[in-house]
Amino acid sequence: MMAQEVEVPTQLEEPAVEQNWHWSVGVTGGLDRNYHIIDMSYMSDFRYTKFAEGSSYGLQLGFTPVNWLTLRVDGVMLQKNYIRSHVVSGTATSLPDTTYNKYLNVPVVLMLNVGKTVRLHAFGGGYWGRWLESRRTGITYGMNGLESYSEEVDFNSPESQVRDNRTDIGFVWGGGLSGVIKKRIEVGVEARWYYGVKDIQNDYMAHLNPRYNTTFVVQGGLSFWF
Amino acid sequence: MKYPLYRTAILSLVVMICLTSCRKESEVSDLTNPNSRICKTYTQQFEAVWNGMSQGYVFWGRDTVDWDARYEQFKPVFEEFDSRPANRPVSAAEYNSAYQGLFEGLLDHHLYGMFTVPRAQYEAFVSPGRNDYYHDMDSYTQRREELKVLRQRLDLVPNSYYAYDPEDYGSFSIPGMYCALIKLVTNKNVAYFRFTNFYLSNVHEYYPALDHGESVQEPLRKFYGPRYWEGISSEGSYANDPTVVGIIIDLRGNGGGSTADLVPFMGSLTQRSTLVGYTRVKDGYGRLDYSPWSKFEIGCPRLHLGTEKPIVVLADINSVSCAELATMLIKNLPNGTFIGERTYGAVGALLPDSEHQHDLFYSGCFGDYDYYQYGSSIYRYKETYPYYVYTSTYHMVDCNYDDIEGVGVQPDIEVKFNGSALRAINGKDVQLNRAVDYLRKVCIWDQNK
Repeated sequence: MMAQEVEVPTQLEEPAVEQNWHWSVGVTGGLDRNYHIIDMSYMSDFRYTKFAEGSSYGLQLGFTPVNWLTLRVDGVMLQKNYIRSHVVSGTATSLPDTTYNKYLNVPVVLMLNVGKTVRLHAFGGGYWGRWLESRRTGITYGMNGLESYSEEVDFNSPESQVRDNRTDIGFVWGGGLSGVIKKRIEVGVEARWYYGVKDIQNDYMAHLNPRYNTTFVVQGGLSFWF
Repeated sequence: MKYPLYRTAILSLVVMICLTSCRKESEVSDLTNPNSRICKTYTQQFEAVWNGMSQGYVFWGRDTVDWDARYEQFKPVFEEFDSRPANRPVSAAEYNSAYQGLFEGLLDHHLYGMFTVPRAQYEAFVSPGRNDYYHDMDSYTQRREELKVLRQRLDLVPNSYYAYDPEDYGSFSIPGMYCALIKLVTNKNVAYFRFTNFYLSNVHEYYPALDHGESVQEPLRKFYGPRYWEGISSEGSYANDPTVVGIIIDLRGNGGGSTADLVPFMGSLTQRSTLVGYTRVKDGYGRLDYSPWSKFEIGCPRLHLGTEKPIVVLADINSVSCAELATMLIKNLPNGTFIGERTYGAVGALLPDSEHQHDLFYSGCFGDYDYYQYGSSIYRYKETYPYYVYTSTYHMVDCNYDDIEGVGVQPDIEVKFNGSALRAINGKDVQLNRAVDYLRKVCIWDQNK
C-alpha cells in the first residue's frame, strides 16, 4: 500500500496519455438509495425506513486540462424515493406510504485522477437540481375505513406551489475507478453522495420542520475522449 | 505541487464536514406537541394552542387566515398577561377577548375551543364559524309549531303518525323523531320521516335497557320495518308500502350525530353505494401536509328500498354535519331532490371521543381530553392552564372537489324558512308544503301525462 502511495506524484507529473488535455462525453447509469431526513420529534408513530431505492441515469461532459485534474458536469435523472409507515396507535397495523420522486440533478465537480490505463478518481463539488415528478402510493384513513391510493402530485396545484420547493441545491462527493479500454474510450464505476442543503419545502409557515434528501449512487459510465 | 492529492483530499474532508452543517435545525419539539399538558403560564398555553392549530387544523389548504400573523399579534398579549403584577390580574373579559381574536374568521364550522386558567377562575370559549345567513335554531317552540302544522294542516293517513319525544329539544342521548303518511290523492301517499338528530345508534344499542325502549323504536319500526337497523324491510314499512309513491326525509334543525346512522337510515333509501364526496386528513406537521383524497361513499345495505321512488330531503341553515352528509347523499341520487335552504357548512367529520386523535391523524381535536370530558371543575385546585380545541379531523369536498365547509350544501329548490307563516293562526310550513307539492307534481302529474 505504501509503495503505491509513493508512486502517486510521479504519475501526476507524467500524464497517462500523449495528449495532455482532452474533452470527454459519455453516459452513466446506476442505482441509488435515498435517505429522507426529517426530525421525528413527537411524531413517534411515523417510521421512516432508512432508505428507499431508485435509479440514476444521465449524460456527462468532462474537460481534462492536465491528466490529474478533470472538470466534470453531469445531467442526471435521479430518483429520490422514500418510504414511511404510520403505525396505528395501540395496534400492530402499519400503513405504508411510498413516495417516488424524480429529479434532474446537474452536478459540477472537480475530479482528481491517479493512474495511467487504470485510473482512480476522487471528486467533490456542488449540484443544482429540479424536482420533476412525484407520485405517492400507500394506504390512508378514509371515512369508509382504510383506503389505498396511488396519486401523482400536481405541482401546479395552489397547495403544491406554496408547499413544495422544487429547486434542489447541495453538495456532491465521491470516488471511482476507470479504465481506458480502447484509445479514447473509457469505462468506469463510481460512488456518489448527494447531500441536499435546501429544504424540499418552501419556507411557508413558522416553525416549519425542514426535510432534506441525502442520496447515495453507485453507477457505471462509458465516455469518449476527443 | 508535491503530494497535491493528499492535501486536496484533507481539504475536501474539512470542507465536507463544514458543509454538512448547512442544514437548518427543526423548530418542532416535544414542547410544540399540542397534546402536551405542561402549560404553566398564559404564554405556554397560547404557544400550545397556536402550534396545535398550526400543525393540526385541517383546512389550511383553503383557510385565508394568516396564522403566522396571528402569532405575531397575540403572543405579546399573552406575554403581557404573564407580566401582570398581582394587584392587576387578568380579567375574564380580557382573556376571552384574546382567544376570540386569535380564532376569529377561521373556516371550520365545527370548531370550538375552551380554555381556562389556574384554579379554573374563569374560562374562555370560542366558536368562530359564521354564516352570512341564519335564523334561530330549531327550538322547542318552532318544532311544536311545525308538528302542529303537520298534524292539523296536512292530510295525514289516519293513525299513521308515530313519534318519540319530538319536543325533546337538545337531547342527544335519545333523539326525538316522528313519521307519518301524507296523502297525495286516494291510495297515493308520501312517507314522511323527521330526524331531529343522528344519534339513533344509541337507540339501537341501549333501548332494551330503557323503560321507554319500545316507544323509542316505534317510529323507526313503522317507517323502516321491524329490522330497522339493517335497513328497510320489504313488508310492513312505510318506505316500501305499495301506496307510497314518494318519500320526504326532513333534516331541518338536525344538529348531526354519528355517521354510523347513515348506512341503515339513509343508505337504505338508495339502490347502490353512492359517492358523496372526498376526504383527506393531515399526515405531518406542515400545514399543507395532506394525505391524498379518498372516496367517501355511503353504502347501501342488503335491505333497501324496493324501487327508485322520488325522495325529497328537507334541510335548512340549521342542518349540521351528519345531516349535511345525508343531504348530500340524497341530492346526489338520480331520484333525489333537495328542497329548503343551504345547510350550515360543517361537513368535516371528526372523532371527538378519541384522546389520541391528533397523534393518529395529525388533524382534529387536541388538548386536554379530561377538560373536554369533565369540564373545568376538575381543575379547581390545580395551577395549570388546560385547553381543548374541538376541530374537524377530515377535510371534505363534494364529488366535484368543491369545498362545502363554511359554504353549505346548496338546495335544488330554494325555499327559505318563514317563521311568521308558521306561527300564523292558519299556520303554514312553506318548506314542507313545497316538498309535498313537488312530489304531487312528480308522482301524479308526470304519471298522468
